Amino acid sequence: MTEGVSREVMRAEGIRKSYPSGDRRIDVLTGVDLSIREGESVAIRGESGAGKSTLLNILAGLDASDAGRLYWGEEAIETRAATLRRNRYLGMVFQAFYLIPELNALDNVLMPCRIGDGLDAAARKRASDLLSKVGLSERSHHLPSQLSGGERQRVAVARALVNEPRLLLADEPTGNLDERTGEAVIDVLLGLCASTRTALILVTHNVAHAAKTDRVLLLRAGQLHHV
Amino acid sequence: MPWFLYLALRQLFPAGRRFPFFTAISVMGVALGVTLLVVVMSVMGGFGFEIRRMIVETEGEVQVKSALPIDNWSELIAKIERVPGVAAATPYATGAVMVLHEGKPAYPMMRGLDLASVDRVVNLAHYVRVGSLDDLDDDSVILSSELARSMGIVVGESLEIYSPLMVERLRGDEVFLPREVKVVGILEIGHQQLDSSTVYCTLRLAQDLYGLTSSVHGINVRAKAGVGEDELAARINAAGLPRGVRAFSWMDSFEAFLWVLNLEKSMIFFLLLFIVIVAAFSVTSSLLISVVRKTKEIGLLGALGARPVAIAACFCSQGLLIGIIGTALGIGFGFLALAVRNDVVMTLARLTQRDEALRRFYQFSNLPAHTAASDVVTIIVLTILISLLAGLIPAWRAARLKPVEAFRND
Repeated sequence: MTEGVSREVMRAEGIRKSYPSGDRRIDVLTGVDLSIREGESVAIRGESGAGKSTLLNILAGLDASDAGRLYWGEEAIETRAATLRRNRYLGMVFQAFYLIPELNALDNVLMPCRIGDGLDAAARKRASDLLSKVGLSERSHHLPSQLSGGERQRVAVARALVNEPRLLLADEPTGNLDERTGEAVIDVLLGLCASTRTALILVTHNVAHAAKTDRVLLLRAGQLHHV
Repeated sequence: MPWFLYLALRQLFPAGRRFPFFTAISVMGVALGVTLLVVVMSVMGGFGFEIRRMIVETEGEVQVKSALPIDNWSELIAKIERVPGVAAATPYATGAVMVLHEGKPAYPMMRGLDLASVDRVVNLAHYVRVGSLDDLDDDSVILSSELARSMGIVVGESLEIYSPLMVERLRGDEVFLPREVKVVGILEIGHQQLDSSTVYCTLRLAQDLYGLTSSVHGINVRAKAGVGEDELAARINAAGLPRGVRAFSWMDSFEAFLWVLNLEKSMIFFLLLFIVIVAAFSVTSSLLISVVRKTKEIGLLGALGARPVAIAACFCSQGLLIGIIGTALGIGFGFLALAVRNDVVMTLARLTQRDEALRRFYQFSNLPAHTAASDVVTIIVLTILISLLAGLIPAWRAARLKPVEAFRND
């Protein structure tokens, strides 16, 4: 899976984050360093409350760190700049799918293209192809309410990849699925990332899912450790 | 189509079989407000329009008046008719009289018409329902419809006319007998006041009853098409009228009445606009609920790279779309209601057994309506603007929502 690993896609240096709790602050991240390259997949594990989602939000530019630097490629990223670049650079998959209930599967997949002003014939073809690859070509015109949990998450995976991002961040994507369905979703996710050479950071509790990635990191006491 | 407009449309009108209940309620609130505004403004405008039509039809666009009777009116009419923009002019004499038929009195206004020129200025023949204006002579009259009805008199019967001149003559121990005249026609203009209290006669008969000899009380002037009444009155005044004689446009003559009419219309518009404002609050409320319900979706849009201003535009667009659709429906409902207004009014009057009272006391025989384009444009612009403002608060709240906070609420 790591064959052809080349350019660095994302680098985080000394990321620190704390939250106020009463009259004191809780340090969640105490200096996280992380680098990921094109086509590489990394799993981050950790106990509940260890700060996995916080780290992912900072890496996605959704939240600001207290200290440290974040680079997407060669570019140092701040939260505001991230908003403008996230659409093309990043794909995100969430535990709760977050599909827009008024849009069918295809339109949900196309939403990042619409937001990025990139809705054209090529985008429509990419979206259709992705839905085929996740096994939902027959259900592209179904509303989220007409899809099962696994199907919804596969739509979310297709949506995350439709803009051909350099990096995909997945926050416990199988958390709301049963084991068998979760397994299938992870396989689809890893397979698509590998075929498109999209870097993947997967936050998961599931040891088996983490084992399918190139590297497994453990977030403990606010820092990442190799497993 | 920008994504925020696309999403706004899909959220207002979701695909599938789900009925857009929130949208329907919000749209109907705006539509009902606009319907009321259109109907009431049109009816109020109709009053003004009908009054203008009746005044112009029966008195011409310009009236030349004097505090004293006007002598040498033939020369004056010739002078007026030479003014550019004047189509024709006709003299008149007018005043209150008492009429008596089979012991039943009435106190209408008398209007003496110069039969040689009246039809060039005043289209009274158009309003004669029974009989003919051609049958009118110095020994006959035409009665307005309500006057004839209330007196129980029909064409061919006679009545007596008493003028205030009789009182003057009595003071000089002179006996002045009432004039017995024959009714040769019934005239209905459509204005309750005119229809209920006017006797039309020849100018000669009116001059005799008021002791005017050859004088008249005024001159009615008809303007050529496209000539404004104010402009024409100014031209006639500039032509050099005798001392004490002055030309007034019909709007000058009825200035106070028209001002009151306009004030009423403005006040009613202002009050009814509050219905639209209340509807706008319901739009704000619906959209705020929508923002709360869609917190995670708003967070997702941010995570997908949507700028806060575009997210705000999505909710603002929903307010705007509700306003546009509600306004369009309201305009349609309004015109529909106007089309059946007379049927509705008469049905209600019949159901309450007040149809006779309605005809007797209401200003017009039909509920008038005239929709001014400016009124419609004002209603459209204000309603859409208010709806747009209604979307601003939810939009501001949505734009402030950070994706991380939205997901944290999960």
